[in-house]
Amino acid sequence: MRDRSVLGPAAESTGGSSGGPTRVLVVLYAVFALAAGARAGVQLATRFHEAPVAYLLSALAAVVYVVATVGLVRGGRTGRRTALAAITVELVGVLVVGTLSLVDPAAFPDETVWSGFGRGYGYVPLLLPVLGLLLLRRRAGDPAGPA
Amino acid sequence: MLTPLVVAVTVVAGALTVLGIASTLARRRIGLVHLAGAGVLEALLVVQAVVAAVAMAGGDTPADTASFLGYLVGALLIPVAGVLWARTERSRWAGTVIAVAAAAIGVMVWRLLQLWEATGA
Repeated sequence: MRDRSVLGPAAESTGGSSGGPTRVLVVLYAVFALAAGARAGVQLATRFHEAPVAYLLSALAAVVYVVATVGLVRGGRTGRRTALAAITVELVGVLVVGTLSLVDPAAFPDETVWSGFGRGYGYVPLLLPVLGLLLLRRRAGDPAGPA
Repeated sequence: MLTPLVVAVTVVAGALTVLGIASTLARRRIGLVHLAGAGVLEALLVVQAVVAAVAMAGGDTPADTASFLGYLVGALLIPVAGVLWARTERSRWAGTVIAVAAAAIGVMVWRLLQLWEATGA
């Protein structure tokens, strides 16, 4: 019998180690890679002399997001390790930059993705690495593969 | 840039976000309603891009032209990428993929408007 709900056909169960949440995370990371990358590109190209530290940090954040996205998409042991490393850097980055930007605002004359713990981006930059680490941890906990 | 257009985009993006989350909660993949919503959203974004392009051709450019164009073009790509990515997802998370893409658009159009209103100031 055909399933005609407007919300779409019934989903297939993905079992324990679902790839679905990973895919959602990939979308979030891809959006941030795009946002941070585009922003850093513009800032570095047009106003590098104004706030080199902030703009280089934006660029670093963009690279970290791209690496995490690629790692999550590729999956497997190498992909997971790549993603784990990138997301750890991201978490440290958002915490350090977030704290510094509040303690010493003068050092950050222009906003970066990580300023104020990602305040300019609805705190999603703070939430993303936490979700990412939780997800990677859950998948690493699968009996199928060691971390 | 027209504020009513931005509001329309926000409403459609918001509805699509809710529908996406609904299908995840209902354990369903995405259906026609999501494709239609994404289609309307994309159409509005194309209209917005055309309006902005016409205004810019008329010499009315925002101060931060590069960022503005980046957001304008980026916004056009996101619904398409979201739909393609969600259609290949066979689990119930397909709806959340669409929801994330739509929510991102909802935020981006306001940032676009902000950039636009900073015309040469």
